[in-house]
Amino acid sequence: MEKKLSEMSYQEEGAVKEIEENLKGKVAGMGIRVGKKVKMQTKQPIKGPVVVKVDEANTSLGLDVADKIVVEIEK
Amino acid sequence: MKILLMGHPNVGKSAFFNRLTGARAIESNYPGTTVDYTKGWMRLEGENVEVIDVPGTFSLEAKDKAEEVAVKMLEENREAIIICIIDASKIERGLYLALQIIEKGYPVVIALNMWDVAKDKNIEIDIKKLENILGVPIVPTIAIGGEGIKEVVSRIKEASAVKIEKIIERTDK
Repeated sequence: MEKKLSEMSYQEEGAVKEIEENLKGKVAGMGIRVGKKVKMQTKQPIKGPVVVKVDEANTSLGLDVADKIVVEIEK
Repeated sequence: MKILLMGHPNVGKSAFFNRLTGARAIESNYPGTTVDYTKGWMRLEGENVEVIDVPGTFSLEAKDKAEEVAVKMLEENREAIIICIIDASKIERGLYLALQIIEKGYPVVIALNMWDVAKDKNIEIDIKKLENILGVPIVPTIAIGGEGIKEVVSRIKEASAVKIEKIIERTDK
């Protein structure tokens, strides 16, 4: 099942499937690339940032950024 | 000669800077503490060398003020040697930045900082293998405790520009 990263629920895991082209360079430095496993750690209320776990380290993303990343949900 | 300290926000660049120069740059646990930069001096083989604590940046494609400063400083100091400080517990994204700097042709020394934190997380890093692939000196450090700083300094002279194609070749093996 596919979902936007911003739509993942707490503790849900998946692999990054698609990143909007002009965003790729921006998030690569934060460890997010196509194929990477991510796990939703926290979602802040009122359109706040999301925190995902990549490579055993947390990274936070603005909701607008998370909207442009598609994840294949695993569990 | 100039030395630039570069790395992600919140990996200990300022702590490292203080250890190198004996200065007192402000350390805090908030990322993005250094927006302006701090300059200092250290002795290297009898010579006074300028050390610059560059604001933290995730990559060389700047997306905010502090990152713009970082990228600009790198470009203005073509002759500089870069000490790239990486959080050893988040090594992959750190290497992304290190590779970008290497790709631009700068001589780089990599400090794998927060070595103790990585150990606590049971992260094992084969430093010898990584050195062989990248062709740059790599030293585990704990900047807060002062561990490994001397080794970084002693290996600055080994730093030289590495062709990115060579690294790619060695990765394939």
